[in-house]
Amino acid sequence: MIPQATKGAGAETSRGGLSTGSHLLVQAGEYVCALPLVSVRRVLRSLPVHPLPGSAPELEGLAEFGGEPLPILNLARMVNAAPGANPAYPVTIVVWTGPSDARELMGLAADAALEVVDVPPGSVVTGGGGGAMGDGGFLLGEAPVAGKVVRVINLEALGQER
Amino acid sequence: MNGPAGIGEGRGFLILRRDGVLWGIDNAAVAGLTRRAGGFLVDIGGQLLAADDILCVVDGLKVWPVAPAVRRFCPDVAAGAAGMAVHGEQPLLLVDPRRPPRLLWLEEGEGIDGEGRE
Repeated sequence: MIPQATKGAGAETSRGGLSTGSHLLVQAGEYVCALPLVSVRRVLRSLPVHPLPGSAPELEGLAEFGGEPLPILNLARMVNAAPGANPAYPVTIVVWTGPSDARELMGLAADAALEVVDVPPGSVVTGGGGGAMGDGGFLLGEAPVAGKVVRVINLEALGQER
Repeated sequence: MNGPAGIGEGRGFLILRRDGVLWGIDNAAVAGLTRRAGGFLVDIGGQLLAADDILCVVDGLKVWPVAPAVRRFCPDVAAGAAGMAVHGEQPLLLVDPRRPPRLLWLEEGEGIDGEGRE
C-alpha cells in the first residue's frame, strides 16, 4: 500500500523533520529497496505503460505523467530480484535521477511502497552483491533496516547514460 | 525531467502507430501518404515507412529529448528518434527523418501496392 504519511520509524530527526538519510522502502520482487526520499517526487498507483518493441526487460516502456513522457523502469529487474507474489497494489514511483544540474524524471515500477525509514550513510555496505546488470553504480549497497537487509539505490547513477 | 527541448508551435506532426507504438513525424518531412493493405506507407523524401494506422495531425507538440533510459535500454528505437512527446494521454516518439527507426522500415513481404493519397 502507499504510505499515508511520509514518515516512519526512525526517519524523523529530533526536530521532527525528515533527515538526509530518509529513504522510501519499496518492494521489488523479493527484495526491499531504499530510495532516497529527497529524489522521490510522487508515488502513484501503477501507471499505464506503453511498451517499446525490442527494449531490454529493465525498460517497461513509456507512460504519461503530468503531460510529459516518462520512461518506466522495472525496479525488480534493475536489482536482479526474483519475482515475488502477484502484487496487490503495484505502484509507480516517480523519481528524479541523474546529477542535480541535469536531473531527469523517471518512473520505477514496484510491487508496493512500504514506509519511510532512516538509512544513515554509515550503515550502507558498498561493493556488495546484487550487481544489477553490471549496475553502473545504480545499486549503492546494502543496509540493515529493522533486522532486514535492504538494497540502497543510487538514483543519481541511474540517470546517467553509459 | 529537463524541460521540453522545443515547442513545435505552428508545426504539424503526423501521428501514426506501428507495432503498438505511437510515432510523430514532422509534417515538413512527409512527402506523401499512401494506403496499402493493412496500413499506410509514409514517404519521407524517398524512403518509405510503414504504419499500421494514421491517427491525426497535431500542432504544437512539446518535444522532450529522448530519455537516457530509452537510449540505454532501447537503443534501436532511440537511434531513430528525435525526441519524445505526449499526444492526449499517450507518450510518443518523434521520428528522426534523417535516420528513421528500424521499427518503421518496410519489412520484407510488406506490399507497397495501394491507392495513392499524395
